Amino acid sequence: MLTPKRVKWRKVHRGRMKGRAMSGNSLTYGEYGLQALEPCWMSNRQIEAARIALTRHIKRGGKVWIKVFPDKSVTKKPAEVRMGSGKGNPEFWVAVVRPGRVLFEIAGVPDDVAREALKLASAKLPIATKIITRSETEVA
Amino acid sequence: MATKGNNTSLAVDSRSQIGTTSANALRKAGKVPAVLFGHGVDPMAVSLDAKAFDDLLHAGGKNRLLHITIDGSKKDTALVREVQRDPITRRVVHADLQRVSESETVSASLPLVTVGVADGVRNMGCVMDVVVHTLEVEGPANEIPPNIEIDVTELGMHDHLTAGDVKLPPNFKLRVDPATILISIEPSKTEQQMAEAAVAVAEPVEVPTVAETTPTEELPES
Repeated sequence: MLTPKRVKWRKVHRGRMKGRAMSGNSLTYGEYGLQALEPCWMSNRQIEAARIALTRHIKRGGKVWIKVFPDKSVTKKPAEVRMGSGKGNPEFWVAVVRPGRVLFEIAGVPDDVAREALKLASAKLPIATKIITRSETEVA
Repeated sequence: MATKGNNTSLAVDSRSQIGTTSANALRKAGKVPAVLFGHGVDPMAVSLDAKAFDDLLHAGGKNRLLHITIDGSKKDTALVREVQRDPITRRVVHADLQRVSESETVSASLPLVTVGVADGVRNMGCVMDVVVHTLEVEGPANEIPPNIEIDVTELGMHDHLTAGDVKLPPNFKLRVDPATILISIEPSKTEQQMAEAAVAVAEPVEVPTVAETTPTEELPES
């Protein structure tokens, strides 16, 4: 699973997910991509599950790019603990995803395989997504 | 009004109001705010019909010389330099039009189109990696092709095509280093290799902070 190698601070503020993805919102490497339509915190488990679904379907050949990285730690207080006594411990890592963000890209596979693989990957994610292609984005 | 096909005419209207509010009002009215600049003349804020402009782009108008009519009377020629789109709806949000004369030398970013199936992909199960999707070229404004076609049928495993290998139309020259790799044919990874390549960490591990990993200098004893 994706985790940072080292971080400057173990616990970070929650932040906000307003607006749309201002970067990473277009295809850069591949021919097909999966674009987020809703904001979310995407955990490293979800990203890994989607990646496995993607690579299992395309079997051999093709290339996959993961374009989000879970670099934000999420803390949780243990169960049945009273409020106070400081912030909880980091439990997992998430990527902050805003609408428009391209999550995965594929190249080198036929159209039907790419679409089915992205559809399977989409089922592992907590948000609505859409499949985008280079031919439709390259109009301008 | 632009239509599909070879017609490259586009009607634009000048607009006096600029800024977010008026631009949003234009978009609601089915128009696209744009700017017309170049040839040492002050930039001019204009608006276009959204549907006509989208049709023009779908008909390959991105790199085609446009014959524009400003306010129904003044005529000019221009190129579409940048189109800003909403990343989700793909609706055109803004456009940049640059005034160019017909034979003027301009730079253009042309999409690469591969022709055929590479030998390495067909017979050796390799993957074709398109490293660069567009190529920067320079040439006369009225002769810009819609794209550049590259024949990849001869490429085997570990072969690559560079920008210098591309056959450009006459009067055109490259604006990038000829050694730039455009397409390479690489052996494909199996599912197992891809799984191994991913960082295999079963459970969340304690991630060290920068402060923990950076050796701190000992303070001199006073």
